[in-house]
Amino acid sequence: MKEMLKIILSLVVIFIAAGVIMGVTYKYTSPVRFYAEKKEKEEALKEMAPEATDPIKAAGTWTVHGKAYEYYVAKSSGRPVAYIASTAGKGYSSHIKMLVSLDRAMKIKDVKILHQQETPGLGDQIEERELFLDQFRGKGLLQLVLIKGETRENIQAISGATISSRAVTNGVRDGVQTLVDKYGNGLRAATREVTK
Amino acid sequence: MTKVDYGTIFKNGIFGENPVFRLALSLCPAVAVTSGVKNGFLMGVAVLFVMTMVNATVSLLRKFINPKVRIPSYMFIIATWVTVTDQVMAAYQRAVYKDMGLYIMLIVAFAIVLSRAEMFASRNKFLPSVVDGASMGLGFLLALVLLGIFREFLGKGSLWGHPILGTKPLLIMILPTGGFFAMGLMMGFLNWIDRKFFGGSGSGGGAH
Repeated sequence: MKEMLKIILSLVVIFIAAGVIMGVTYKYTSPVRFYAEKKEKEEALKEMAPEATDPIKAAGTWTVHGKAYEYYVAKSSGRPVAYIASTAGKGYSSHIKMLVSLDRAMKIKDVKILHQQETPGLGDQIEERELFLDQFRGKGLLQLVLIKGETRENIQAISGATISSRAVTNGVRDGVQTLVDKYGNGLRAATREVTK
Repeated sequence: MTKVDYGTIFKNGIFGENPVFRLALSLCPAVAVTSGVKNGFLMGVAVLFVMTMVNATVSLLRKFINPKVRIPSYMFIIATWVTVTDQVMAAYQRAVYKDMGLYIMLIVAFAIVLSRAEMFASRNKFLPSVVDGASMGLGFLLALVLLGIFREFLGKGSLWGHPILGTKPLLIMILPTGGFFAMGLMMGFLNWIDRKFFGGSGSGGGAH
């Protein structure tokens, strides 16, 4: 009985001391972490629409693969200049999270990969600008189709990384579709038919 | 009481009982993070810090920790220092944390950390334990950097993210499969050196 109490006492003391250490660290690091994360997000959004002068704010949320993602309207002195959606696609070994921005004509301005854990050396080439990402620029919703082989009109898959390429293409298309539905008045009816 | 030989402890951690190449402990993280030199190095630094702190704490508390509950106590001490490392990294090393965040928490389960607490720190005084933790951590760091150099150079043709060759000679090296190849080759090579030049008997040890 006495030994049991001793054991309990020694464990409790260790656990409390450890809790205090972790608590103190959390107290000092969490604000730094919070601001760093906020700043990173703002910077990423800013990169997607560099001409926007007003702070970019979330306009609402939409759902893809069972998770909610935000979309944004980038404004310059009160007038919208770009639309941005955060979106995701199911890759080979991870959820690929990305941002896509559209200009007012609903053409893609830029695509940025925020997070991916695809196969090193193969799937992670989706982050390479010249090889893959830059071909999204200037494309419209209907052109977002993945092709295995040479193409200028559509999106060309990276050889050896078709699944990752498709995940990005589909994710971007879902995001663009959402933005077109919300903001691309005239385009809506025409695009609905073809993509279904 | 014999005089503590810090030199031996230090050499032990880096060569004689190198965690990866000699004790063959913590091989899975060693394979998982060494697809690049940078990741290997940063993981090594995190482990170095955790091991030093854990050994110091365990050694200080060795009289207080009841032997019957020593494993839960050690695990909790390890978890504490890993959490501290994780939070500090998340706050001040954002770029690194993006790549490494997932693996940092796994340090809790590294066999090498627990084994040094149990084998060394719980039986020795404060200073020798700190030296042991630091040199074991350093040995781990060196092993990861060596593997990282080998794999990144062959797999991506670059070092620390800077392209050197311009081609990717052996892509398989940065895939997990290549990690095992690299590990085996490196271990064999070091054993060969040891036998040939230092008359050692090579390493044994089972993988964890």
